[in-house]
Amino acid sequence: MAASTYSPSQGAERRQRQQQMRRLSIQSDWDRSDGRSFIQCRPAFLRTGAANAASGSAYAEFGTTKVIVSVFGPRESKKAMMYSDIGRLNCNVTFTTFATSLRGQGSDNKEYSAMLHKALEGAVILETFPKTTVDVFALVLESGGSDLPVIISCASLALADAGIMMYDLVSSVSVSCIGKNILIDPTNEEEVCQDGSLVLACMPARNEVTQLTLTGEWSLPKINEAMELCMDACLKLAGIMRSCLKESANLSN
Amino acid sequence: MRDLHLSLNQTQRVRLQAALDQLESYAASTAAAAASVTVADSIPVNHEDNILKGHGTSDLDGQVVATLCGVVERVNKLVYVRALRSRYKPEVGDIIVGRVIEIAPKRWRLEINFSQDAVLMLSSMNLPDGIQRRRTAVDELNMRSIFVENDVICAEVRGFQHDGSLQLQARSQKYGKLEKGQLLTVPPYLVKRRKQHFHHLDQYNVDLIVGCNGFVWVGEHVETSEKESTLLSDKPSGKQETDNSVPLETRRHICRIANAVRLLSVIGLTLTVESVTETVEASLRSNIEINEMLGSEFYVQTVEREAQRRASMVRKRS
Amino acid sequence: MVGLSEGEKQFLRGGIEQDLRSDGRTRHQFRSVYVETGVIPQANGSARVRLGATEVIASIKAELGKPSLLHPDKGKVSIFVDCSPTAAAIYGGKGGEELSMELSVALERCLLGGKSGAGAAIDLSSLVLVEGKVCWDLYIDALVVSSDGNLLDSLAAAIKAALSNTGLPKVNVVLGASPEEQPEVDVSDEEFLQFDTSTVPAIITLTKVGKHYIVDATSEEESQMNSAVSVSVNRNGQICGLTKRGGAGLDPSVILDMVSVAKHVSQQFTSDLDSEIAAAEASDE
Repeated sequence: MAASTYSPSQGAERRQRQQQMRRLSIQSDWDRSDGRSFIQCRPAFLRTGAANAASGSAYAEFGTTKVIVSVFGPRESKKAMMYSDIGRLNCNVTFTTFATSLRGQGSDNKEYSAMLHKALEGAVILETFPKTTVDVFALVLESGGSDLPVIISCASLALADAGIMMYDLVSSVSVSCIGKNILIDPTNEEEVCQDGSLVLACMPARNEVTQLTLTGEWSLPKINEAMELCMDACLKLAGIMRSCLKESANLSN
Repeated sequence: MRDLHLSLNQTQRVRLQAALDQLESYAASTAAAAASVTVADSIPVNHEDNILKGHGTSDLDGQVVATLCGVVERVNKLVYVRALRSRYKPEVGDIIVGRVIEIAPKRWRLEINFSQDAVLMLSSMNLPDGIQRRRTAVDELNMRSIFVENDVICAEVRGFQHDGSLQLQARSQKYGKLEKGQLLTVPPYLVKRRKQHFHHLDQYNVDLIVGCNGFVWVGEHVETSEKESTLLSDKPSGKQETDNSVPLETRRHICRIANAVRLLSVIGLTLTVESVTETVEASLRSNIEINEMLGSEFYVQTVEREAQRRASMVRKRS
Repeated sequence: MVGLSEGEKQFLRGGIEQDLRSDGRTRHQFRSVYVETGVIPQANGSARVRLGATEVIASIKAELGKPSLLHPDKGKVSIFVDCSPTAAAIYGGKGGEELSMELSVALERCLLGGKSGAGAAIDLSSLVLVEGKVCWDLYIDALVVSSDGNLLDSLAAAIKAALSNTGLPKVNVVLGASPEEQPEVDVSDEEFLQFDTSTVPAIITLTKVGKHYIVDATSEEESQMNSAVSVSVNRNGQICGLTKRGGAGLDPSVILDMVSVAKHVSQQFTSDLDSEIAAAEASDE
């Protein structure tokens, strides 16, 4: 049974762990809590066809981060009344109430929805479905760190599953900066005490970055190092996504 | 075959896996597996020929790259990608089943499981009195006496409008309003274009209309001459409270055929009148209750039967 | 929800009258139920239930809290239902709020029992650790993933399955020196107390279409209803909750008849559900 939340004791334990991390971050070499090295991502489990009612869907599990994305469309939308010769992409990200360890409100996360839209709109060929809308609904079942990159990669897989024309698959990773070290694909407890973060979404085959956000204090060579790390990880992740699509294509034959 | 949500016991699981493996071995023997691509895979082309880049491809630094997941098809100089689980791709002359969602001036708007709604013009529809004449303003006001909102209609694709949506026509006697039955939705790629989409199953007294857009109608048989007379006798006010309920025996057949269609669409097999009648006959032979057709035992039996059928086909070919 | 044409409505109603519905079921037959437990590992208990094309997920989280001043000898349970936009496009944003509220209230009514605690699914006094100071707060969250009618029955079944999957950790309480001091709690990581779900009732919703009532309606059948009565029946055949929906008025004798039909149907359904839950738990280990 996984550890659940107990309000009295949790505060003290958490603070202890954070202090420990701060002490470690001054050193340059230490083990991450799940045994990975700094430049190792969590093992990715991807599956298409998770939701039967949708045109396309995908389920992604990266360690303890679990996301399910359903794509509906292209279909007529009551909101878009004006004639337009390109289609519309509508993104929506919701966290379930049991996603975070502290029971939160399950409401739409508008910030993540906007960022998902920015990451995907460069890849989707909107001219192929004029006058209609493609709806992307992302549901985060468990939030274990590095949520937005997992949502973006899973959404891109669901769009491919739905048969929406895209220039390329969009894969995404994030890095955390703790002290002098750069950690890729951070977990929740690493994210909480990070000094800075960088989220990158790109189309690996075209070598194009569709979205890049950075927080914290970074020097130029550090940004370079982080970006190279991310692009390399994105390439590998796109390979995993591609083999997942091929597998499901073989099954439906 | 997507996520299966039936509880199978151990023996059923084993039998299902064996049948699925058998089916996979026949599918893999075709060359389709080699030509499947995913998004952004580059398609091997001979650069000397003038290759025409078709649907689902795009150009990247001189390389032809796929924008869809599917199978690469080559026809002479045309290279395109055919998606495996694609949406409905309409063609002129397709027979489709749709539902009226709006009555607009001089036309009806229908929902047909496509990215846009289709349009049926008043001029493309036979008038109740059968006379061929120009539609007047009175006809426009009486549109409601022909079709109302939520009616299920069978029609044919006449052409495309400038914005890509469909124009339908329902002039022949066999098209028109469908009643006394149920409408089912299946994925459009399971319906292949055939010569016949209207099937009158004599022995069951049931009409089976397989729309190319994925809407399938299963209902009591209606003589085509009767359709015209029902339009005339339709009173614009009030519903028909006449005693035209479906007899129990016919209803049983309708439900059995509907369940067969549901089962085939869940498994992912192509929907033809032969596969449907075969499934119904198999269920009658094994004395399975109508609602048990959607259960795990019959599911496994149907997959096994399909595997045996493919095996005998392969043997006949070789 | 797509509408139905007159012809389809007549076919549907005729089928219900003749005891042969569109998918071949009789009026009192349920669709096949499929249960999976332990789908949310970070919750104390969870389950996913499929009833035909209706799919719901329930998760149970337990947190330590203080009992309310009115009932110092009882723990607290709260139920919250969320309709996800994947179920239907109208559920996005504010659209699903009304339905979620209605479902949450109906579930609380059926599962939490009277004010004194009689007839509750879970014995609230078993959740208390130190009277007046420390108790368990159970948060039951349900998510509607896809909807094809009969949401209430599926939600109740999912909650029952999730409860049988729930384990509360054993807590060692050290009382403080004086009665006003907050006692110290030590939560064990190994030992767990399983819930006894034999008292959890099942909810049977009877939908009245024309003169007859049907069990487990699909959304098409629900669109034709005059009124519906949801009855919650427990193992002993006692009625634990009742909710009437729909605008049409019902004759009192009809309501009593519906209750007795629900009682009769619930026996079969409860035993099917229990065997499914047991099978799911077994395969989970």
